[in-house]
Amino acid sequence: MSSESPASSPITRHRTIAVLGNPNVGKTTLFNRIVGIRAKTANFPGTTQEARVAHITRKEADATIESVLIDLPGIYSLNLDLSESRVCAQCLDGTAAPSGEEAHKPDALLVVLDATNLMRNLTIVAESIDRRLPTVVAVNMIDAARRRGIGIDAKRLSEMLGCEVVVCSARTGEGIDELMHALRNARVPDRSAPSDQQGIERWSQDVYLNACAPLDTLDDDHVTDRLDRAFTHPILGVCSFALVMTGLFYVIFKLAAYPMDWIDGWFGVLGGWVGSLLPDGAIKDLLVDGVIAGVGGTVIFLPQICLLFFLLALLEGTGYLARAAFVIDRLLRPFGLSGHAFVPLLSSHACAIPGIMATRAIPDRRDRLAAILIAPFMSCTARIPVYVLLIGILFPARPSMQAIAFTGCYVLGASGGLLTSLLARRTILKGRSRPMALELPSYRIPDLKSALLLTYDRGMVFLKKAGTLIVAISIVLWWLGAYPKYETPTLVQTQIGPHMSEQEVAEAERFNAEQLELFKESLPSYKTFLDQIGGFVQPVFAPLGYNDQLTVGVLASFAAREVFVSTMAIQVAGYDDIDEEGVLFLIENARRKDGTLMFNTPTAWSLLVFYVFASLCLPTTVVTAKESGAWRWAFLQLGWMSFVAYAGALAAYNIALMVGG
Amino acid sequence: MTQQTHSTTENTMSQAVSIPLTQLPRGKRATVNAADLDEQDGKMLRAMGLRPDASIQMCRLGEPCIVSLSGACGGGCRIGLAKDIASRVMVTPHSN
Repeated sequence: MSSESPASSPITRHRTIAVLGNPNVGKTTLFNRIVGIRAKTANFPGTTQEARVAHITRKEADATIESVLIDLPGIYSLNLDLSESRVCAQCLDGTAAPSGEEAHKPDALLVVLDATNLMRNLTIVAESIDRRLPTVVAVNMIDAARRRGIGIDAKRLSEMLGCEVVVCSARTGEGIDELMHALRNARVPDRSAPSDQQGIERWSQDVYLNACAPLDTLDDDHVTDRLDRAFTHPILGVCSFALVMTGLFYVIFKLAAYPMDWIDGWFGVLGGWVGSLLPDGAIKDLLVDGVIAGVGGTVIFLPQICLLFFLLALLEGTGYLARAAFVIDRLLRPFGLSGHAFVPLLSSHACAIPGIMATRAIPDRRDRLAAILIAPFMSCTARIPVYVLLIGILFPARPSMQAIAFTGCYVLGASGGLLTSLLARRTILKGRSRPMALELPSYRIPDLKSALLLTYDRGMVFLKKAGTLIVAISIVLWWLGAYPKYETPTLVQTQIGPHMSEQEVAEAERFNAEQLELFKESLPSYKTFLDQIGGFVQPVFAPLGYNDQLTVGVLASFAAREVFVSTMAIQVAGYDDIDEEGVLFLIENARRKDGTLMFNTPTAWSLLVFYVFASLCLPTTVVTAKESGAWRWAFLQLGWMSFVAYAGALAAYNIALMVGG
Repeated sequence: MTQQTHSTTENTMSQAVSIPLTQLPRGKRATVNAADLDEQDGKMLRAMGLRPDASIQMCRLGEPCIVSLSGACGGGCRIGLAKDIASRVMVTPHSN
């Protein structure tokens, strides 16, 4: 539309380019190669589907061209009854757009094909030609095709498709300039393609045979065969999956420890610095004890979350995860879940909300409901901060034990979910699960740049959350914890630091406890709002070993689980100034009113089990109601998970008491 | 629509031996005849390249069953199938 306006005056022209293609064709790598880090991830409103969107400005002699590139989800066909297919079709029709973009028909369509799988990829080309949009076809991975001896005649292909065809390699950069040039001059194909499935199949075979040197001998790929057999083997496959996951979390713990220490230190210094600048009073307390302690207690987990997404992206890039899906399928089937649930459940390990929304890809309704019900049992990233804190307390300075405990939490959560599914499939959702079919992409060296870009995206989402929701909750909690104000006598406390000897620590602890006792005695009626709330609900959690403050932490988690850590940071920092001490150190050494450790071993176990199972997330409950179509499923989920969490934590607390005592 | 295709392909292939994919030995090649699947599964498999007249090779038997769609894709793509699905895909083994 706007791109067709007269080119004589110096004006700004807008162009929208949609990028379409099968899964595993290197579409995102190509997209990243074109746009670099300028892209951001955006949702299609009302769906789980995401697209990467990039704005590119380019000056020409007569005009400035602002292009919007939209990297659509990878699909096999526009006509399948799947959420991703529908979103792509709507985007090409101009009826849907990623949030933040205006919905209109794209000015150009870039269809990305895999040169090593050309014939199968032609289905989506036929469907694209049928849309009558200015189209360019990029035959990607041409380097890999050449190595295999697959010859592609781009000129012939272009004649048969009636549009520009560019052979390229996103990996090496070959053909990218030609591709950009072709996109600038994209035209509506002057040939047509059949629109019925059988016609398309015949057409694509015809095009393929004409434009390619057909490979009539199958190349027996023994390496891939062997790897496939190993990774999907009933025993070896499960072992390698367990090994890969444990290794993943070990690396996360080991490597993330360094940046976490730095961040911890920086927030400590920042708190001390801001504290020294501001006069004593409510503003200083709000900033130091509320905002800095709260945000610091959450941002510290950024390195781990980034590493998790980075390593998962690398793992996906190798092609291993598709094999793992079948290993998981075999494990899931006895519990009445299909392998289709693998992606939703894996996504739930990032966050249950996209996980629950991704269950739309599960064809069978009962399969889908079962997956929705158990998705929040998977340990989401919001639980990581809590796990890290509690596991750090349980196994100080033992990274290998920490890794095992961490994996254990994931296994425990997943097991709870599986048993729930088994129970549901025997009672309220009777029936068997539906079998799975999945493409197994070639084993490849993962693309570092794509993994880094994805990590950057996820990290920013987490930081934005820390910058908005968590700051807000931190301020509310600080206020609840600081008011009503009383004229308080000064509490004298000795700082306990890591540099002190055991004897010094013991002395300081005794001194602090005595002082605290005196302080409390002088203030029998000193109770903030938070103390009052915690005191009211605490009897419910007393059998699990939680005191008032821990109860408040648990209650605050209903907004978002990771808030637990910041809540504890605020509550602990409220008793004492942060100064240069790390937040984690303060939390770990926090004392109860009777002077004993707040996070003693049985309590830490009990909390850990509670957080593995509990559905402490209001948005998840809402999304469950929306996706299942009825509030009763949401309440069932909330009620059941709370019951399992309470029972599990009670058991863990008592077992730990028995073992420890 | 899927059903129609199945009946025509079955007619044209009636003289050749048709066996379920799960009975095709490892390393052996075959041509896909038909698949007795519900509409969505059938459409999905066809879009993935597992369609009538496609030439395939068995890579792994069992759960999952892995086939290579070399000829049908124009290269070497692999599809993993649950045994339940694989047993409903009928193929004609190549004679060599």
